[in-house]
Amino acid sequence: MPRFDELLERTPAVGLTRRVLLKRATAGVAGLAAFGLLAACRGAQEQATPETPAAPAAAASPTPTRPPAIVTTPAVVTPTPAPEGKYGGEMIVTGHHEIASLHPDDAGPTVHWVIVTQIHNGMIELDENYQLELVLAESYDVAEDGLTYTFKLRDGVKFHDGEIFDSNDVKYTFEWYMNPDSAAVNAALFRNIDRVEAPDERTVTIHMKQPDAPFLVRAATTFILPEHHHGKVGKEGYASNPIGTGAFKLKEWRAAEFTTVEAFDEHFRGRPYLDLFTEKIVPEASVRAIMLETGEADSAVWPLVAEDNLRFAEDPNYTVFRTSSVAVNHFPLNNEHPILSDKAVRQAMMHAIDRQKVIDDIFRGTAVLATANLSPALEQWYEPNVKQYPYDPERAKQILEEAGWVDTDGDGIREKDGVKLSFTCTTITGDQARRPEAEVVQQYFKAVGIDMQLAEAPTATILEKMRSGEMDASLFNWTYGGGGGDPDASATLRSNAVNNFSHYKNPRMDELLDNGIKEVDPQKRKEIYSEIQKLVAEDVPFLYMMFWDWFNIFTKRIKGLPESALTGSQLYRKAYQWWIEE
Amino acid sequence: MFQYIVRRLLQGLVVIFLVTLATFGLMHLAPGSPVDIMIGEAEVSQEVIDAITKKWGLDRPWYEQYLVWLGNMLRGDFGQSMVRTGVPVSQMLLEAAPVTLKLNLYSFAIAVLIAIPAGVLAAVRRYSLFDYSSMVGATLGVALPNFWIGLMLIIIFAQKLRWLPSGGSGSWQHYILPVAVLATEQMAVLARLTRGATVEVLHQDFVTTARAKGLADVTVIFRHVVRNALLPVITIIGYRLAFILSGTIVVETVFAWPGLGRLFILSIDRLDYQVVQAIVFLLTILVVIGNLLTDLVYAYIDPRIRIQ
Amino acid sequence: MAEVRRSAVATERISGLTGFERERRSEFSRAWRRFKRYRPGLAGLAFIGVLVVFALVPSLFAPYDPIAQDTAMRGAPPSWAHPFGFDHVGRDILSRIIWGSRIAMLVGLGATAIAVTIGVTIGATAGFFGGWVDSILSRFVDTLLAFPTLVLLIVLAAIIGPSLLTVIVVIGTTTWASYARVVRADVLSLREREFVLAARASGASQARVIFRHILPNAMGPVIVLATLGIGGIIILESALSFLGLGVQPPTPSWGAMISDGRAFIRHYPQIAIAPGVMITLTVLAFNLFGDGLRDALDPRQRE
Repeated sequence: MPRFDELLERTPAVGLTRRVLLKRATAGVAGLAAFGLLAACRGAQEQATPETPAAPAAAASPTPTRPPAIVTTPAVVTPTPAPEGKYGGEMIVTGHHEIASLHPDDAGPTVHWVIVTQIHNGMIELDENYQLELVLAESYDVAEDGLTYTFKLRDGVKFHDGEIFDSNDVKYTFEWYMNPDSAAVNAALFRNIDRVEAPDERTVTIHMKQPDAPFLVRAATTFILPEHHHGKVGKEGYASNPIGTGAFKLKEWRAAEFTTVEAFDEHFRGRPYLDLFTEKIVPEASVRAIMLETGEADSAVWPLVAEDNLRFAEDPNYTVFRTSSVAVNHFPLNNEHPILSDKAVRQAMMHAIDRQKVIDDIFRGTAVLATANLSPALEQWYEPNVKQYPYDPERAKQILEEAGWVDTDGDGIREKDGVKLSFTCTTITGDQARRPEAEVVQQYFKAVGIDMQLAEAPTATILEKMRSGEMDASLFNWTYGGGGGDPDASATLRSNAVNNFSHYKNPRMDELLDNGIKEVDPQKRKEIYSEIQKLVAEDVPFLYMMFWDWFNIFTKRIKGLPESALTGSQLYRKAYQWWIEE
Repeated sequence: MFQYIVRRLLQGLVVIFLVTLATFGLMHLAPGSPVDIMIGEAEVSQEVIDAITKKWGLDRPWYEQYLVWLGNMLRGDFGQSMVRTGVPVSQMLLEAAPVTLKLNLYSFAIAVLIAIPAGVLAAVRRYSLFDYSSMVGATLGVALPNFWIGLMLIIIFAQKLRWLPSGGSGSWQHYILPVAVLATEQMAVLARLTRGATVEVLHQDFVTTARAKGLADVTVIFRHVVRNALLPVITIIGYRLAFILSGTIVVETVFAWPGLGRLFILSIDRLDYQVVQAIVFLLTILVVIGNLLTDLVYAYIDPRIRIQ
Repeated sequence: MAEVRRSAVATERISGLTGFERERRSEFSRAWRRFKRYRPGLAGLAFIGVLVVFALVPSLFAPYDPIAQDTAMRGAPPSWAHPFGFDHVGRDILSRIIWGSRIAMLVGLGATAIAVTIGVTIGATAGFFGGWVDSILSRFVDTLLAFPTLVLLIVLAAIIGPSLLTVIVVIGTTTWASYARVVRADVLSLREREFVLAARASGASQARVIFRHILPNAMGPVIVLATLGIGGIIILESALSFLGLGVQPPTPSWGAMISDGRAFIRHYPQIAIAPGVMITLTVLAFNLFGDGLRDALDPRQRE
């Protein structure tokens, strides 16, 4: 039921994630990124350091821009070989909702992703620090004009059923996503591809229709499907019987109970240390916390309540990674609604909420204030010099008065031309994380004469009604650019985008978004996305509240964990390097 | 007799048809579609949404979809879950049902073993301390919201004392808390019922006669009283067969048990039409059969009741 | 002597009433005397009385605004000024408990009123007319009785969209079957009784026969059943709210408060404890009151 936190966050595309560490210890420069890839900064792992609330990244000065060179040679880090570990044992992690499918096309939700990433590999993959890593590809090459990508594939890679991986599998995978008949959820990522060629067994060439800045991060990291198997069983058959090249192969899948994968002896990087890796499904956050305490689980894939997160972070018996989500916690507002279409009302609302107090009290400081659509953690793209909305109820009242919203009948709610300043915000049924937030904001609005009614509905209803414009407002977290470290937000801010929940229409925004995708010069791209953020802050298409901190907690018996991480869920991709030491 | 059963079964078919039709219609009236859940946060275009909608036949009017469902159903095909991308619904039910059945079976066995003797004893030793205390317990048991005791038990036994796991399924320890919660409620209901029924029987003529004939108390109680008192108890059990599901919805939610109850509520939430439809269908069958069996058992135990 | 005179006065005073009402009034006082003997029933009644007062004028008793938040006090434990502590957004739990009795009463009484109305109408129709009307309605009632109410409630509440009104209406329209069954059985036997036959012979309309003569005599068991049912309805409401399909925030409902507290049982258990105790006590009160009422109104049960 009413599951805690659905919609909290879904990984936008295959193999992507968007959590960036806030705190930076060493600014290790890795100017290797090609195109939009975030110039990675090594984050310090928060190991049981006494909790100092995330240094508000909003205050962090804009990083001196280090335009990453457009490199045509591999922009890659070689995975550091893990120190010698021990073989054997089972690692148990907990997720909060069922794993509905094991098909990479459905691997958006973090809970799915954690298992799917064990089973599959992409030609290249993003690591936990947003750096690209060569996996099934040995090298790759991008043409000067950004229209051709050539990948050289690794030799001697086997699928779990013993078949050999080759370029036809890559070609098959890309073409499957591109084929409209597949009805692939992630089809849009492949829209700028013209054709895929496999000139020989170890080479893949991808021809683009137009330059696509986020291509490497978003499409080239796609997990490769086995042509010989997927071609036969199709998406539905594959969802319960995946066969990849990953370090672990599927042992048992009980969607609502647990999923176990076991070591694949012939994995091309060598057999993983762990015998078994299991994700148990435990909807209650409190139960997941207790399981970590009693040692029933080694890690929680999905965050706990703020109080638990902070307590584990202080406990020396746990290794805690604190990263920042790039999905903005926001109230989408229907910009076509008679009242909410008034920009003055939206701006006044921003002034009416003491967002920092909401963060400090309700989230116990485990979030960063949002200043527009992009997270401050995306240092490469974040623009701090935008219109600000400090908490100022007097200013809010003044803006409303000037716009003609006055309380004439003395009921505490303003009106204009006989219309009451009243609308309904629908939150997700049983959303224990965000409903309280909505209740608090309701009171802030009441104080300046805005009436926000609250209602609840299931996720599917909210998404559909927000998309169709039948709902006034809602409250959830969603990425408006920042997926995989790339700032593109066409899927949410473009006037015709399906996920433009706020029905925000601004021709200038559309133009900027289109230019942003085509632009291959990072410096010029940066300017485009700065303007986008300024536009968002000026227009306030939705009430951007904050970016949540993400806590990934591990018991101390898990060894071989990365030194640091910028993104939480991507961490679990490294399970093939971990081992258990009691 | 045979005619009667056939007639009842035919009536049952009509009930099943109407219930499934109503569920189907209602589910499709609800705003939203499972497609919205399937696409999640992916960067989708309207074309992709349309393609998925079409693939699952959701572009057709609901009654047409119902007929398709009915056709498949008659061929024994429950359809596929949309949210679990094509997993057969029958497989999902087969995974979830044993969990729910086990929970119910254990708790029911415990409830019967404790409540029926307690109820009989309370009736026989009326106004005794035992009677009072067991009835106070039973009244309290009925009044306790089961999800709340679930939470309280978790706090005490899982968190404070750390004796038992707080949720999930697996070992026998996992069963203790949810079974205790379910059994509390059933025990309370059964004990009250048994006591009431026994009291009534105790005052009937044949019992008085039997006692007057000098039969020992114990013999009277076992041979006459208990047998007759069980009648209403069995009736209730039969009628409540279908409550197997509703009783566990809440308990499965609290203790994170992957049973039918949780599957049901999750599927409603995600508008996973086929799954909801299948569960309601099975439930209705249970209701029809439970009703019929109860009436038959009733007639068998008590020949005074003739089947019209 | 004095004794006799007093009762004569009493008789005089009520002599203005019709014979029928007089009979009922004395029946009422007899029932009350019987009821008074059952202590737990009295205790239940007293508790219900307190709840009703809370529900009518919660502002007189609640020390704070049940909706006002002081977010800095999130989860603060009980203190003298706030004996039940604060919830997860910094609201006073005691005040919310007191205001919550209003929702509990509204749902309990409202839904029961709907259920009784539907149940009595259908039961009376089935019992009075008999024949095919009876067999169709009875089959319907049997099915509904055997159908788990919570399942129906969840489906309906999820589709209509949760709200206070939805909860009342939906619970009311799904729990009437037991009333219909009881009324039908009573009406079946009553319609053959002499006073009914007499009324019919004297040319009274069907409606008059049903409403004046049959139903008033069938109401005893209905009242008992309704009282006993309110407790169950309050639990249903809280289960629905617990599942997120009930009364909407920030309206204080006990079930929703438990639901709020579920996420925080590790850190702020007080959020879930107090409303759970209230629900238990309330249901207990209605059940004890109902037990007493049954003994008082239906002497057969008491032997």
